[in-house]
Amino acid sequence: MRNAAAIEMAEKLDLPAKMRLADIALGVAKSLGASYADFRLCRYQSEYLEAKEHRLEESSTGMSVGFAVRVLLDGTWGYASSPLATEDEVKKAAANAIEVAKASQSLQLRKFVLEDLKSYQDRWDMPMTSDPFLVPVNDKIAKLLSINEAALKAGANYATASFAFVREDKFFASSVGSRIEQTRVRSMPETEVTVIDKDTGKFATRAGLAAPRGSGYDYILSYDFVGEAAKAADQAREKLKAKSIAPGKYDLVLDPTHLWLTIHESVGHPTELDRALGWEANFAGTTFCTPDKLGKLQYGSHLMNVMADRSQEGGLSTIGYDDDGVRSEGSEFPIIKDGIFVNYQMAIGQAQLIGQKTSNGCAFADNWDAFPIQRMPNVSLQPNPKTCTLEDLISDVKHGIYIMGNGSWSIDQQRHNFQFGGQLFYEIKNGKLGGMLRDVAYQGSTVEFWNSMDGIGDKSTYFLGGAPNCGKGQPEQTAPVSHGAVPGRFRQINVLNTERKDVA
Amino acid sequence: MILSEADAQDLTKKILGYSQAESCIVALSGNESRHVRFAQNMATTNGAPSSISITVESHFGKRSGSASGSDLSDDALAALVASSENTARLAPENPEFMPPLGPQKYAPGSGFAAATQAATSVQLATAIQPVLKQAQDKNLQAAGFLEIGTGFSSFGTSKGLFVYSQSTEALNTITARTPDGTGSGWAGTTHYDISKMDIAGMGTVAMDKAVRSQKPQKLAPGKYTVILEPSAVSDLIGILIGEQFDQRGADEGRNFATKKGGGSLLGETIFGKNVTIFSDPADLVVPGSIYSDDGQPAVRTAWIENGVLKNLQCGRYWAQKSGNQPVPGPTTLTMVGGTTSTADMIKQTKKGLLVTRFWYIREVDPQTVLLTGLTRDGVFLIENGEITKPACNFRFNESPVAMLNKVVAMGPSVRAYGEESIGIPISVPTLLVNDFTLSSVSDAV
Repeated sequence: MRNAAAIEMAEKLDLPAKMRLADIALGVAKSLGASYADFRLCRYQSEYLEAKEHRLEESSTGMSVGFAVRVLLDGTWGYASSPLATEDEVKKAAANAIEVAKASQSLQLRKFVLEDLKSYQDRWDMPMTSDPFLVPVNDKIAKLLSINEAALKAGANYATASFAFVREDKFFASSVGSRIEQTRVRSMPETEVTVIDKDTGKFATRAGLAAPRGSGYDYILSYDFVGEAAKAADQAREKLKAKSIAPGKYDLVLDPTHLWLTIHESVGHPTELDRALGWEANFAGTTFCTPDKLGKLQYGSHLMNVMADRSQEGGLSTIGYDDDGVRSEGSEFPIIKDGIFVNYQMAIGQAQLIGQKTSNGCAFADNWDAFPIQRMPNVSLQPNPKTCTLEDLISDVKHGIYIMGNGSWSIDQQRHNFQFGGQLFYEIKNGKLGGMLRDVAYQGSTVEFWNSMDGIGDKSTYFLGGAPNCGKGQPEQTAPVSHGAVPGRFRQINVLNTERKDVA
Repeated sequence: MILSEADAQDLTKKILGYSQAESCIVALSGNESRHVRFAQNMATTNGAPSSISITVESHFGKRSGSASGSDLSDDALAALVASSENTARLAPENPEFMPPLGPQKYAPGSGFAAATQAATSVQLATAIQPVLKQAQDKNLQAAGFLEIGTGFSSFGTSKGLFVYSQSTEALNTITARTPDGTGSGWAGTTHYDISKMDIAGMGTVAMDKAVRSQKPQKLAPGKYTVILEPSAVSDLIGILIGEQFDQRGADEGRNFATKKGGGSLLGETIFGKNVTIFSDPADLVVPGSIYSDDGQPAVRTAWIENGVLKNLQCGRYWAQKSGNQPVPGPTTLTMVGGTTSTADMIKQTKKGLLVTRFWYIREVDPQTVLLTGLTRDGVFLIENGEITKPACNFRFNESPVAMLNKVVAMGPSVRAYGEESIGIPISVPTLLVNDFTLSSVSDAV
């Protein structure tokens, strides 16, 4: 059964109504002196279902509608937003955006200049087989409960499973004439099991390895959550008895269910141009990857090829146009080519500052009330063109660790020093996978780490991971982003033991 | 969008009027804010966002469902109620369902300042102007964010409960960097009253630290005596109390407060005797919301008293099941401070580091609350009672549970802001801590 409220609200603002509001917003902005303006009217529909053990803990739906007007006034930005999509409110917001820009002009040491922007009239819809919002809620609840059931049956003490779904309907209009409608959906499953050892007071968890995707419910149906839950319970139990790691240098084979996040933190973020320009210095940070390194820095080994795209099936950043209204079709670009750093990710108004011509379509605003800033497209490690399986990578390791899934993650504000945990750790001895290990985290420095990579899997090993909530900007915005990855082999990486004996 | 108490109450009544459920909860919240954002000594993305959210939770027996929206029109509100009821009807019974509360007694709220609500974009820019001027004069690059906001929230139930709260907040953070990229300093905090904020003063502190932190010396990782400034302390304490102090988790055997053999460590001395942490919504420095998530009054709660674990958050269901009183989560936090000035802490330190703030803190092991993260924007080496030179940044691997057993001196408790803020006001002292584990060096500045 489709949510009645959802249908009603969706139908409230038809395209002519949006066009009219856009004309009003852009008209007011222009009459008050804006050299550029855009209007984004967005509707976010969401559903969240969470099961704990045998019970449904939460079933909720959400619908958020609102708009923002953004203006560039004599080189200064201003924006204002409102949840009331009425003509009066749109006029007020446009005037308010101008007022904000005008007030901030006293701080404008250098004026923002935009490149020539193209005008598009288009509609883009994410292809999808099964709309999660049309799937009966009972089916989704039954699925969640069956996942927990499998985990508990296999010996887990506690089990949590949740599905979050989001539909974005975005309408973008700009003073250069663009009028763009876009729709896309995200399906975001999360599972975790916990096992307890009462006598020792120890516990262990094992989180699911399924990634959030820019996909419909067909993705949920295609993943074997029940099978994984049973296995996860066994593995969590095994963790309690696993050998604690001896700290030292190890060769690491990183599964793509793990490596996508290392790519996100140590390749995705360092190559954001706004960071290189110092615009994120107060929060997300700057980057070691300064413009003088463009085309020169040996970022990683020659096996390393990282592509940016907005077209990958299932990608959380996949979309027709970014939130600056820049078209993404055919805009795939390499970030790292044969190990060399070759491109930044950019939003509008940035390319000129490093002697380039135009944005490469990497702007995103996480809500109707947010300013579009540079955010990641799908940033993916390309497969080895030569045949190479996971087993091939492991077979050439004498003393190492194989890591699956994500544990803790942290990286410094210039993206040098990082530390990653994982979900599952296995010993590698003389080319063979051995028993489970625990208390493992590895530390590294970005360029050294990627240059130590001497093996990667072929396309048969490709996995699309991702995060629903990457933080950046002030006010902070959270962006969904995907990262394709293949397993990689890294030599002589520093591994620490994370057990603390001085607590409890 | 801000609704007055009367408007919020009328709207709640109207929504409850549409309800056909056995019981119903209506939660409203809205915000109007303004900000100037700057970097490289100039404005970047300035704005004035406004938002509103209406959440309706409907119950039939032990079935419940909720729906939230942003449209205040009558049709949309009726549809929202219907949607939550549909969701509830389709949900299986939750054996842990707790019916909504009836009327409660709340203390009067504070934490609202007319000056903050009335601040204009011109005022914000005017406050930042001298900071940027000073940065240019000193040949430094300033980046930062000054935001003021007014928020309201209300919580009503079909059992007659209604509570409303309105508050303001100003947030100011400033980073200054040297043009060669070898020095970086930071200062920042929050206050409900922007007129009490020394914005230019924060700029001066950030710039002074940027200059003094230039060309830092690379030191070996290891266990260090550290002086953690309030921003750094606020992150660790916020994460510990806000995210780990959970009674059910402890009873179920899955958090740091679990006792070997079963049960929790409640009532036991597991922290240093000099550690006391509490929440008091009426606190003058960090006034907090007068009600907690499910409408329970937020009251003064001791979390740690003289090293004793006094309370863990406990939901209404778990309290009933375990025969205890519910303990709502904190809406504000205070760690009681001491009287040692930072200068005196430096004087009594033979070898140690002064740390300005932390960055990117994540949990490594929930069993011990082992956290990892990095120092940032000003680390200084102390030798024989004096700051001798700027030091490199470090990654730490440390547990706040362990840290609170190693505090040897404290400064006065002050309102603070850290990058990992859990979103409630927090007041903490500067801490002098022994044996803080710095596990590797970071080249970042």
